[in-house]
Order: sequence, then C-alpha cells, then structure tokens
Amino acid sequence: MKIYPYKRLNRPITFRVTSVSLKLADGTRDQLDTSAYSTQQQAVALGVAGHDDWVSATIGLSATLPPGADAPDAAWSDVRVLAVLVDGETNVRTTTDLTRDAEDSRDWSGFLELLRDDHLGRASLIIYAAGTVDGVAGRSIAETDRSWIVDTVSDEPVSGLQLEVRKASFTKSSREWLRAYADVPWIVDTSARVPTVFVNTDVEGIVGLLDSSGSGVESKVRDLLVAQMATDVWTAVFHGAIGDLEIEPGGNPVFPTDWQGEVLREMLPDVVPGVHVEEALRQVHRRRTGDSGWAELQTRIHYAAIRRAEASRALGYAIRSLEQANRESEK
Amino acid sequence: MITQPDHVPERLALLPASAADRFLTEQLLKAEQVHGGIDLAKVVEPLPEDDARWAVEPIRSLVEDAIFEFRDDRTRADAWLAPRLHATLRLTRREAADKRLWTHLALAVAPDYVAWRHLSEPTAARPERRIPAERFQGPADRQCFSRLWWAAELFRNGPDYEPVEVACGNQDLIHTVLRRDLIDHRPTAQALVRLVKSGKIATGREINGLSVAITAAGATLVYDVLAPDEPRDPGPLRNWIAEAETAPPVSRHVLPDGPDEDPVPEDSVALLVDHFTELFETAPIRGRKSEI
Repeated sequence: MKIYPYKRLNRPITFRVTSVSLKLADGTRDQLDTSAYSTQQQAVALGVAGHDDWVSATIGLSATLPPGADAPDAAWSDVRVLAVLVDGETNVRTTTDLTRDAEDSRDWSGFLELLRDDHLGRASLIIYAAGTVDGVAGRSIAETDRSWIVDTVSDEPVSGLQLEVRKASFTKSSREWLRAYADVPWIVDTSARVPTVFVNTDVEGIVGLLDSSGSGVESKVRDLLVAQMATDVWTAVFHGAIGDLEIEPGGNPVFPTDWQGEVLREMLPDVVPGVHVEEALRQVHRRRTGDSGWAELQTRIHYAAIRRAEASRALGYAIRSLEQANRESEK
Repeated sequence: MITQPDHVPERLALLPASAADRFLTEQLLKAEQVHGGIDLAKVVEPLPEDDARWAVEPIRSLVEDAIFEFRDDRTRADAWLAPRLHATLRLTRREAADKRLWTHLALAVAPDYVAWRHLSEPTAARPERRIPAERFQGPADRQCFSRLWWAAELFRNGPDYEPVEVACGNQDLIHTVLRRDLIDHRPTAQALVRLVKSGKIATGREINGLSVAITAAGATLVYDVLAPDEPRDPGPLRNWIAEAETAPPVSRHVLPDGPDEDPVPEDSVALLVDHFTELFETAPIRGRKSEI
C-alpha cells in the first residue's frame, strides 16, 4: 500500500466506455456497435468494423467517483476528473477533461479523441481525479485501479494479449526467412508487433485441421495442437521479454511498457510466486545474468507457459474424446 | 572498420527481426566485415512505391556528412544528426514505432554509421572492440537511429529543434530519460531540457536522481493538471509529412524546421522548471554531498 502525505479517497474510481465512433478518411463518422467494447474485459477494439482508413476515434466515457468525493467537509477543492490515454510504444499521452453530469453528482462523463497516426497497437486508459489539497494544486485524490485497454487494431475487445496466427507456405512465402524453417509445422516470431505464430501450410492437412469446427475428435486434436503452439509462444515471448530488459543505473530492471510488459505481468506470478511482480522481475533478471539459478528457473517458466496456454484443459478433453471414440468402436 | 555494403538499397523497407538475425554476424559486430547487401534485399518487406519518404539517398548522404564532420568526436554527432534525421525521415509516431524500419536502416542502409558511432573503445576489462547488437536491432531508446529520431520527436518544441540539440548534447539525458514515461508529457520534457541547458543538472546521477524524484512525485501530482499541454492537432504533422515530396535536403549548417505544431505552453514549462528545481534540491542523489 502506498502512503500519501495528504488526504485522499481510499476507494478507486470506476468507469466504463459508453460509445465508440470512428472518423473515416472521407470525413464521415461510423458509430461502432457495442461489440467494439467490453466492460467485463475492460477493453476497446477499434478494428471491429474492419475500417483501415480511419483517422481518429472518439471514445465516450462515464466515470463514478467513490463515496466521499463530494463530502462538504472534504479536504480538497477544485476537483477535476481527467481521462488519460498512454501508449508505451509511441510515447503518446492524450488527456481530456470530463464534466460533471449534475450539480451534486459523483458521475462525470466526456469524450476522449485519439488519432490513428499516434498508435501502433495497444494503449491504456486511466481516469484520475485531482484537486487542490492543503494549498497544493493538482494533487491526485483518486484513480482507477485497473486500466482499460484500447487496441487500435484488434477486432475483439479482450484485455489479455492476443496472439496472431498467420498461415504461409514456408517454401513459397514472400517472407524468405521462413524457408529456413520449411521442415517444421509452425514457427514463433516474437519480434513482430504482437507475437505471431506462422503455420506452415506445406504440412498437408494442417490448415484443414486448424480450421475444423465440429465437436468430434478432430476438434479436440485441434485444440490440443493450438495449446501446444500457445505453450511455445508463451515460452518464447517470456524469454524474449527477459532478454530485452532495460536496466537502470542501479542495476534494477525496468518493466517494459509494451506488450512484453503485459506478458511479464501475466507470467511472473507463476514463475516466482508469492512476491510482487517488480520483485519477481528483479529475481528473474538476477538469475539470468548471475552465476546460477537460470537453469532451475526453466521449469517454472515452462509451467507458467503451459498454464497460460490452458494445455491441461485441452489435453483433458482430447483424452476423454479418444476414450469415447474407443468405447464406441468396441460396441 | 567496415564500409557500406556493396549493394545499398534505393528505398527503405521493413526488416523483421527473425529475418535480420542471420546478418548480425560476429564479423559485423566486431566491425570487421559487412554483408554484401544482395541477400538481405531478398528478405525485406517493401514499403509503398509511390511514397517519396522512403528514398534512401537523403539519409545516406546525411550519415556520410556526420561521419566526416565529427570524425574527431563521434559522440557530438548525435546532437547534429537527430534533428536532421527527424526532418528528413518524416514519420508519424505510428510508423516510427515499427522497429522493422529502424532495423532495415541500420543493417541494410548504414551499417558503417552504426559501426563508426557505436564500436566500443577497448578497455582493460574488455579489450575487444565490439558493436552492441542492440544498436542494429533493439529497443527504441537504444537502437542507433530510432533513439535519435525519438529524441528529436520528444524533445522538439513544436517546429523548434533547438531543445533537441541540447538534449542530445547530454548522453546521460537521452540515455536515462528516453525510456521513461514522464517524457511523454511535453511540458516535462521541455522543463528537463531547460534545467540541463542552464547547467542546474548535468551528470548522469543528477539526471537519474531527478527523474526518479519526478516519477515518485507523479504518484501524488497529476502533471496534466498542474502544467497543462495543448491538445494535439493532427493537421500540421500531416501537412509536413505530405511536403516531404518536395522538401529540399536539410541544411547542414542551420537547424531545420519541424512540423508547424503549437509550442508547449510557456507557463507550464516555467512552472515545472521551478517545481523540478525544488524537487532536485531535496532529492537524494548518489554521490552528492549532503549540505549540513
């Protein structure tokens, strides 16, 4: 818990997205339907309508300050509520003031506009309430405890990191570097905007298997295959993220601000359980760069990757499905 | 020392890390031998043909001039090249965030510059001279060219590149501050430059100590309220990018003009200069004698 040298609200601000619209290159506006955002996932996906020529997006927001914000004896005055969008990849910070819905309301709302040219992938959205406390202006008196994710590319509003799956013939692809890997069914590329799995369409039947939908054994095998790929991806991105860490002059690693940071925050609790993620990152970094402990950590990293990939569930269903098939063939 | 590859492409392209890897050879990192360029050209992803911004020649000639001009003190090349690279290679932040562009620039277009600028000096502990691989392909604030471009983008005051020269003249400032979120707030960036320019902060420890203090204070102060910035207007940047088609080469002697955006509100910068000065005087700085 943080200690503040002045009075604050001790509960977080809650907020939700109420509308999303895109301004297109021809000057028209497309109001996206509710599938563009999810309150449960706390995510906005600007790619849902399939436009790739939009110029800016306007996100409607509604925030509720915690009880006590408007108390007559509050320690603050001149309260302002701000929506702040930050993007670690492009260093863009966009802020907008929200306005109070009614005289004695704790609800504030407004619109945040973001430019497509300013973002490559994902940005996060936070709400701050600030006021003048003890004569100091701009004191933060409350904020949201969890940010929303605004994904400028994705067509599905999910807060977790999405993997991209691309199909390509490794021997014929225009991506020549894939040719070196022509004898394997898939390869993971963690250097792209989001981690990407390239599936080798030269492997006969693999596309049919991956695209199968039904409920039979085939789909269970597909899920197992996907879980296996996902395990590979998570392992690779974890190593990639750890290998790229920035180190402060004091020797402490800095949390990356892009998707690598997201990956680390998700996996570290399983890799080094029971400590804060910042401490976990320090420990992992020490083990990788120090004299010992890196080899021992591999099991934990693998464990974290298998859990992320939900491999146990996929395997469980696949086994049950096989058992059923066997039973039926014995009849 | 290596020279440019036999085959230098005419246009910039995107070079994915997975494809770049096999060109980052030991010989290259020791600056002994560079690839020929032909094989590398086969694995790039091309950029649109009709966009004049991707022409390599203006950038190639800039880096050659930098190598000649600063042959006696290569560190000083940063402050000269950063604004000129930014004004030559006109990008949106969205485009600049694509690391594949910078990897291509470093590996295919100007590996000789990367070697010239970043080959390590031999020391007792590390007698072998070497170019860190991250200077070719790495985080935005470490890669040879992207760090300069981003320094120019984040420290320019609207069209004015003068603060960029100041910022890039201090290796500690761009090294320490570029990777921190605090610099995303334009008034904060301008206030930091003023403090460096006036000599109030200079050493790496001072800059690091202050940026830690600013971040810590930022947990209780909303700088956007304290020192507001203007909302971004996308028009001037778009126009500036469109003018790349007809823009003459940047001047080697006077600073070019950046996109015609509004400068940072002066009141906000002045307020933060005072605020940071106060923070700095009370911040714990390693190696600074406490005044008792």
